[in-house]
Amino acid sequence: MTELLLQQAINWITLGSIYALLALGFSLIFGVLNVIHFSHGDVAMTAPFIALAGAQALAAVLGAAAPAWLALAVIAAVFAVGLIGVVLDKAVIRRFRDAPAMMALVATVALGIVIRELIRHLYPQGSNPHAFPRLIGGVAFDVAGVPVSWFALAVVGLTALLVGLLFGFLHLTPIGLRIRAASQDRVVARMMGISDGRVFRATFLMASSIGAVAGLLFASYAGVTRFDFGVMAGLIGFSAAVIGGLGSMPGAIVGGLIIAGIEVLAQTFVPEGASYRLVFVFMLVIAVLIFRPAGLLGRTILEKV
Amino acid sequence: MLELADVDTAYGAAPMLRNVTLNVRAGELVCLLGPNGAGKTTTFMTACGVVRAQRGKVRVMGNDVAALGTEKLAALGVGLVPEGRRLFPGLTVIENLRLGYDAVSNRGPKFDLQLDKMSNLFPRIRERLRQTAGTLSGGEQAMVALARALIGEPKLVIMDEPSLGLSPKLIGEYFEITQEIHRRGTTVLLIEQNAEMGLRIADRGYILVKGRVAQEGPARELLSSKTAKSLYL
Repeated sequence: MTELLLQQAINWITLGSIYALLALGFSLIFGVLNVIHFSHGDVAMTAPFIALAGAQALAAVLGAAAPAWLALAVIAAVFAVGLIGVVLDKAVIRRFRDAPAMMALVATVALGIVIRELIRHLYPQGSNPHAFPRLIGGVAFDVAGVPVSWFALAVVGLTALLVGLLFGFLHLTPIGLRIRAASQDRVVARMMGISDGRVFRATFLMASSIGAVAGLLFASYAGVTRFDFGVMAGLIGFSAAVIGGLGSMPGAIVGGLIIAGIEVLAQTFVPEGASYRLVFVFMLVIAVLIFRPAGLLGRTILEKV
Repeated sequence: MLELADVDTAYGAAPMLRNVTLNVRAGELVCLLGPNGAGKTTTFMTACGVVRAQRGKVRVMGNDVAALGTEKLAALGVGLVPEGRRLFPGLTVIENLRLGYDAVSNRGPKFDLQLDKMSNLFPRIRERLRQTAGTLSGGEQAMVALARALIGEPKLVIMDEPSLGLSPKLIGEYFEITQEIHRRGTTVLLIEQNAEMGLRIADRGYILVKGRVAQEGPARELLSSKTAKSLYL
């Protein structure tokens, strides 16, 4: 029993970290633009496809497949997805920042469909699942007979590092200060010489890059990626952000950990729980929206959702 | 410094300003007065480009504000104090002031010097620098909002009803500081409801009624004018 609990605790922290990274993007974008970017999950899940395509292209050009190619392609995918986020913001999302919430919802859902269909049609055999390797293999150490993988350690370490970097960026740099100011009062931010465009670019670059890391870790955790993984990644990331409180960075982390905790508990203790673990997750989302619409640590979202 | 020429504005179908012409020359302290709903805040928002004029021109230091954009005004040397202070409530006082300073230009180490100056001008905020702005009292927020506009040493300051909600003692203090800023050479457009105090420190004044300029002239004349008296005094 102890071993089972330990194993599930490791799974919980690993999965919770990935969900927290997904939720951070939603919260960051909502915090600054007041728009819920429903295609954020789809943007994040383009990263594994870009990494796979990049690794294959490097192998074709430079020689046999090598782990180094995948590592390079993974890094390139993070930057590429960051740029994709910036382009999507400029082309589509920022146009809806002052529009009724329903318009932003429809536009970002439609954008998600466009992204998924583009992957399906442009990526070779895009409708099929594609194997995605564990980015880091092997066992780091045992705790009471339960192996702790390097991958799990890397996921938790990378999440902590990214959260720390994001916090430092927002609180210690001039552009971070401007982003926080614009998220509180965009009109007065403009009076203080803060350009909306720069703030939005920086926000989308960060949110989409962090989303890309989450997408890569998600695919690596599952061992596979599919063109429609973005739907689930988006729903879970959004739900985690809602549970924690949209716009709240700590809330995103708490929300990610809560959702992963419910999934793991359902799989472990409920008979056939793996099949309907999401029922528990989304029941919690509904409960939070009914009883605490601002989320556990967030500000109210009644007007925009 | 600031010129509104034949400006009309509207919120949707509701007209707000009609044919408003207003000038603030370099070195002047001009007071814009008007009762509630006269269009004072709309004038402020139009002057800083947040609300677009449907007709007419708004120029700041010869630049067309519509073409320039609100975010470029600070770099020209315009300090803005919006109605209700509108500090960034989740940021500390020092962060609010830093934004005001950086808005003019990023002048690095001089910030500490300017911060010292502001702390001398507004002793009340010296002890509050590390405090979150949203937790300050109304009077302290009013001082920080003015300090935020002044810390970059602007050439022109536009203030929208800064005395609103302040105690009589604080109002007096606030008007003294405004007068002091003007004495040091800063051009000021003071948008106010407190006609008597506003006109006592102003060079010239405008009275706005139902979106139109009902009267304008030297502050002393306005103080004794029938329009001003019927509205305020």
